[in-house]
Amino acid sequence: MPNASGYFRTSLDQDLVLLDTRTQKVSCAVFCALLLFVPFVAKPLFIDIANQVFLAAIGALALMLVTGFAGQISLGHAGLLAAGAFTAGILFKEFAAPIWVTLPASACIGAVFGLIFGLPSLRLRGLYLAVSTLGLHFIVVYLGGEYETRRGFSTGIPLDPPSIGGWSLDNGRAWYFVLLAFAAGATLFSINLLRSKTGRAWRALRSNETVAEALGVHVAGHKLLAFVISSAMTSIAGCLFAYYRSFVSVEAFSLFLSIQYVAMVIIGGLGSILGALLGAVFVVLLPYIVEWVTAILPLTASISGLIFAINHTVFGVVMVLFLLFEPRGLVGIWQRLQNYFLLWPFRQTPLSSER
Amino acid sequence: MQLAVNIVVLAAIYALISCGYVLIYRVSRVLNLAHGELMLVGAYLLYSTASLLGGNPLTAVAMAAVLGLLVGVLVYVLLMRRMTGEMVLAAVLCTIALGVMLRGATVLIWSAQVRHPMEALGWSNPSLVLFGDARISLISAILIGATAVVYAALFGFLGFTRWGIRMRAAGQNPLLASQRGIQLHGVYALAWGLSTFTAGLAGMLISLDSSLDGTMTMIGLKAFPAALVGGLDSLAGALIGSAIIAIAEVLLIQFVNPLLSDVVPFFVLLAVLVIRPWGLFGSKEELDRV
Amino acid sequence: MDAPETILSVEKIEVTYHRVVTAVQGVSMTVKRGQIVALLGNNGAGKTTTLRAISGFVGMDDAQVSEGSISYKGQRTENRQPHEVTRLGVVLVPERSKVFENLTVAENILAAVPGKKSKSQAAVAYEYFPQLVRLREREAGYLSGGERQMLAIASALVCAPELLLVDELSLGLAPRVVADLIERLQLIRGELGLTIVLVEQNATVALELADYGYVMENGRIVLDGTADRLRSHDDIREFYLGHVQGERRNYRDVKQYRRSRRWYG
Repeated sequence: MPNASGYFRTSLDQDLVLLDTRTQKVSCAVFCALLLFVPFVAKPLFIDIANQVFLAAIGALALMLVTGFAGQISLGHAGLLAAGAFTAGILFKEFAAPIWVTLPASACIGAVFGLIFGLPSLRLRGLYLAVSTLGLHFIVVYLGGEYETRRGFSTGIPLDPPSIGGWSLDNGRAWYFVLLAFAAGATLFSINLLRSKTGRAWRALRSNETVAEALGVHVAGHKLLAFVISSAMTSIAGCLFAYYRSFVSVEAFSLFLSIQYVAMVIIGGLGSILGALLGAVFVVLLPYIVEWVTAILPLTASISGLIFAINHTVFGVVMVLFLLFEPRGLVGIWQRLQNYFLLWPFRQTPLSSER
Repeated sequence: MQLAVNIVVLAAIYALISCGYVLIYRVSRVLNLAHGELMLVGAYLLYSTASLLGGNPLTAVAMAAVLGLLVGVLVYVLLMRRMTGEMVLAAVLCTIALGVMLRGATVLIWSAQVRHPMEALGWSNPSLVLFGDARISLISAILIGATAVVYAALFGFLGFTRWGIRMRAAGQNPLLASQRGIQLHGVYALAWGLSTFTAGLAGMLISLDSSLDGTMTMIGLKAFPAALVGGLDSLAGALIGSAIIAIAEVLLIQFVNPLLSDVVPFFVLLAVLVIRPWGLFGSKEELDRV
Repeated sequence: MDAPETILSVEKIEVTYHRVVTAVQGVSMTVKRGQIVALLGNNGAGKTTTLRAISGFVGMDDAQVSEGSISYKGQRTENRQPHEVTRLGVVLVPERSKVFENLTVAENILAAVPGKKSKSQAAVAYEYFPQLVRLREREAGYLSGGERQMLAIASALVCAPELLLVDELSLGLAPRVVADLIERLQLIRGELGLTIVLVEQNATVALELADYGYVMENGRIVLDGTADRLRSHDDIREFYLGHVQGERRNYRDVKQYRRSRRWYG
């Protein structure tokens, strides 16, 4: 919530505080309380959706860091998720490793892949970078598929529910709290990272690489760092995803998944943490909304088999609409609403529409 | 010997598809990641016209080709036209979204069932015996011919006709092109039309040779490295890139592992990007432009 | 001689880039048939923007004429696409990237869409610039600065202009080349009956060629008059032509003074 007027910071400490005004503190507390309260009343389906949102949010935040802030396009996000998931699956199957081994291992593997994904970005920009990450996606998925066939898990690798300190994660509610904690951790991590020197360097990179370099930003290093951090986060999300589904299979990591993550970032609004979260919520909910809408329409019987196709079409249309008419994404809409109520009864006329 | 024939056929397929990528990129600097889906649409159009005009197979093919061209122009006019002047990235994302949309729409319109346009046309696809016991299906032979014709026509068009030269001019310096009286939207629409036309042609021929379902988009995506390996703004590069990728793919499938099929093009792509990021024949300035 | 008709009139236009940055404001000018009009001013004064506004912006410029009007022979042309304006007969020779560098000279000439006036406009281009015939197969990127400028003007002629807009004719060219180009331009103007608007930093060149001049500063027109009058104006003599009499004045002071004078009416 922006400050309407008359509130000034007078010291660095004040500037570093995350929750500034009383309104912010209260609303944040209420929101957290609601999040903690929800799993005790909600239906299992709803909890499952919430869990998916949390998982997607971690991935979307990671992609937002690299695309939205450091300005490097990645179309290989599904590949990184797959890397995390397969690390977990392989370590579990081959060495019966517990989650407190597989999770850091996934993060490390993710970081290594991030380094490899990031290497092209040192020489390539824009489109070419997108393309090379796309290529890496196929290669990671191929490696996963190769493992599956070699070891005879042609339908996928099953995983047992993990236990943390004797507390087994085998139901949706338990997962809810774990994933919520991870998503909240990822959010806080991202926010703080962006307020640090690294975050500022990334923004400088995104606006203009040459100028950033002239200002003393280590361009290559920060690009790689962006990829490494983002990939490690994504791989953690992939690892959690594998445990949550208790199953790993290459089919889950199609190109469409990468596109979905890109869509989260776009629909949410590039260059905003809130955008990543909103985008994750939106993209995860979309198929359920489509299903719900088609269910109440009278023509259910004929199209029930086509739900997948309808999802695809609606998804594409929504993405196009956002690109054409609301390039700033859900965050843009949110900010406009906020301004409307803050300034009421006056109307805000934006000086420019930011590009 | 059979291996050589397989390579040539695959190279022709990739070349026919990748010229569409090159065309659009060269003229409007947009990477069209919906190319595979447009190919799919072209193939389905043929299936529809074939079912409608069962008695006249040739008319059906011609009509489908013309419809494909129209689809391309429509895509530009309705969608991509609004993206001119936006960031290059936004335009690319827009094509991705378009691809997802088309993918869903084709299933909605034509269902997810595997189709066989060959039967709908009432043609057969005999395999011809070439020298040294190598075999090639009739459609594959036609495909090679079609690729040759398309490339010859494109070279001629871009090199020697007024509109072709204007297309190149618009790709190079749109502002100056506009100031010299060239209608940019017209040129872009033409590029999209031609590109979709060739994609549709490729889709039709591939679907005639085997069958038709959503997996065809993967072939479209695999042709993209071919375009990039050669250099995205060079037609000759696309031809050679296709050959390289086809050789690598056929040999690796044959001697190493058939599962590699979907990855080989991307391996080659990464190798080229690391060594020579602007492609074998592309111009180096391209890198800074995007 | 009876008063020639006005073919271009610019009325109080304001151009904004990216919807916020105002580049020129309240600029008005009229161009009569057959005239050569010079637009003078130093860097960033808004000359090029004015010229671009006349010839039209494309989407990626993200610029628009936000106020005022431009009319060419009675037709409103502000915020039209450049190709439409070009087809009306208003053709620009831009300052930078004036030729298609990867195309050969012949292709550059072919790429321009010929105007309706005459059929063999390409021949006209080679007629006035015979040097280009020899260079037909050369890629335009390998031409020298002077040859490039010739090609730029030649390909503009293909579009059959009635009003030719030339941005920085002399920029980066040797004085001899400039003299040659001016001679050529005057010949073309006489034979084809062109009207020309010149943007120049080099006031000596511009005032020699022009009948009428406008001086721009900070996105506004601060002085205008016939070339003779401008040549004898004190400020112009000192700051644009470099003739100093007596004590040197500080350019900034004069500018400040003028600005404040306008501010108070």
